Amino acid sequence: MSEENFERPFSADELRTLTSVLDEIIPPSVERNLPGAGEAGVAAYVDAALRKAVELRPVIVQGLADLEAQARSRFGQSFAALSKTEKGALLNEQGFIFPLMLHAYIGYYQNERVVSALGLPLRPPHPQGYEMERSDLSLLDVVRRRPKMFRTLPE
Amino acid sequence: MSEEAVDVLIIGAGASGAALAWSLADTRMNILCMEQGDWMDPAKYPGMSNDWEARQLGDFGLSPNTRGRREDYPVNDSGSPIAVSMFNAVGGSTILYAAHFPRFHPGDFKVKTLDGVADDWPIDYDLLAPYYNANARMMGVSGLAGDPAYPAKEVPLPPVTLGKVGETLARGFNRLGWHWWPSDSAITTQEYEGRAPCINAGTCLLGCGQGAKASTDITYWPEAVRRGVRVKTRCRVREITVRENGMADGVIYYDADGVERKQKAEVVVLACNGIGTPRLLLNSRSKQFPDGLANRSGLVGKNLMFHPYAMVTGVFDEPLDSYKGPTGCCIMSQEFYETDRSRGFVRGYSFEILRGFGPVSTALWGMQQGRMPWGADHHRAHSELFNHTAGMVVICEDLPEPGNSVTLDPELVDSDGIPAPKINYRLSDNSSKMLEHSVARAREVLVASGANDTIAEAPLPFAGWHLMGTARMGADPNTSVVNEWGRCHDVKNLFVIDGSVFVTSAAVNPTNTIQALALYVGDRMKKNLANLFD
Repeated sequence: MSEENFERPFSADELRTLTSVLDEIIPPSVERNLPGAGEAGVAAYVDAALRKAVELRPVIVQGLADLEAQARSRFGQSFAALSKTEKGALLNEQGFIFPLMLHAYIGYYQNERVVSALGLPLRPPHPQGYEMERSDLSLLDVVRRRPKMFRTLPE
Repeated sequence: MSEEAVDVLIIGAGASGAALAWSLADTRMNILCMEQGDWMDPAKYPGMSNDWEARQLGDFGLSPNTRGRREDYPVNDSGSPIAVSMFNAVGGSTILYAAHFPRFHPGDFKVKTLDGVADDWPIDYDLLAPYYNANARMMGVSGLAGDPAYPAKEVPLPPVTLGKVGETLARGFNRLGWHWWPSDSAITTQEYEGRAPCINAGTCLLGCGQGAKASTDITYWPEAVRRGVRVKTRCRVREITVRENGMADGVIYYDADGVERKQKAEVVVLACNGIGTPRLLLNSRSKQFPDGLANRSGLVGKNLMFHPYAMVTGVFDEPLDSYKGPTGCCIMSQEFYETDRSRGFVRGYSFEILRGFGPVSTALWGMQQGRMPWGADHHRAHSELFNHTAGMVVICEDLPEPGNSVTLDPELVDSDGIPAPKINYRLSDNSSKMLEHSVARAREVLVASGANDTIAEAPLPFAGWHLMGTARMGADPNTSVVNEWGRCHDVKNLFVIDGSVFVTSAAVNPTNTIQALALYVGDRMKKNLANLFD
């Protein structure tokens, strides 16, 4: 691999490709009021996460570059400008999609817009926690009637 | 450079070290505990921030090999289908455990007598019962009296809330006529001894910022420290040193700056659990003990027992609020606990009902299961699983086998250059058959509870939580490392009080028994102080 500095932030071009890829990984859903991962800004999370994943970062950077090159050679356009079918066809051939999915999923499901749309409170679990209903311990009535189950030892 | 000699030096500030320190504190002896980790700051636990789920893959992961914390040491577990999970801090692995707190059953101490396998313990349930009670008070255990699977026992606090998950599964167990009961949990369900009650945050495995989950940094340690026990953190012990006469005389350790130091002690106590303890003994070689300290039996590091786990998850049509509530402790079932040879294996297992996952963990777990595609179908897949799963882990009794072992890795070392432990472990035929049986029964009860689909993983690859058997107790110095109260046969001022001393593993989480044993050893030491080394 070249001597490129992979620790640099993504360039504007790379971010545009990444955002477009993320919208394919998790597309928007009008029906569920959920944004696409690119639209939700998950690219910034992925950029930050990959700075800690030193082995993976070059793979993704190279992968995005290859993807752009293939988009232009096969379809004559940038990846972002391709049709849904064309994007899908290209992405299906990319090895970097699975490691990218991991970070895309993490970034997406802790994104504020997504958490709200899932009906969860916009706060961490602590210090407020969650209310739960009282237990119905009458369910135990049949178990209480069982004879002892543990074995005793021979004297 | 040597420091002032202490009366008792405890190595490790986890579950057992804390309990023993508290027990011995009233003797007014000079007691020092050395811990390679640090005090935790509960205000910084992941549950306080929105990225809490992701940190299970990072600095609060289960494996010391991936967390990247300086306090941990690496473990070569490439020779095991089950990866080792542990945490190094004041509180040890109780920082990250689920606080499932069942006791052993009377029969668990006598499996040779009952089933003709493994060995009997040299002690029994009745002897430990008062120490289980004392431990329940100190840790703040919640549960419910009357479980037909156990003798009557003391449980200070009411049980953890069942929630929709617990009640849904309870109905399934009832439909099949199978046993279940609210679990004993070391989780305060009411204000207790200055601790706030559980708020159902579901972050047990990432540290409990509420202080409801009993990690020993908030239970035993504050009391022990108040009574004069000292804890020195960031001290990593390399080896235990011996005098000419073969008695232990202290340790060589590295301080926080990596400087080699010595600490002399009249009594040395190992509380590093089933991997740390044999590692340290095996690394303490001398002309008196060329094969490792207290290892004349050759059994140090042998008979490593995990509990082989399975995880079986049901997918339900209705929402279950399953991200709420303590992670692991609403109910358990011991329907298949005792031996029934017609099943094709001896001994048995427990089911422990789990909550579901948060949104991030749902996505990642779904991905692992091949059920979380990218693209147009993604949202359907996530919505089918998130808030719609509930399930259980199966915890199988693991029988001791000499080939399952901890040795020193010839190459891998920790950040101070101390050899890392190497694990050799294979699943026995008995365990494999037990896992297979348990997965089939788990699917059955999930379907009876209304699940439309079930997903099983067995053995669960990351579930090496319970580390037992590698310095077993017994009456015979040829077949055991320590005697019936934790004193090494070969070195009479050296004690082991952690999971290493287990003779067999039962099919329940070990922490309650580890601590009850530590309290028992503490009592025996106090009673025998005048002639401790005879």
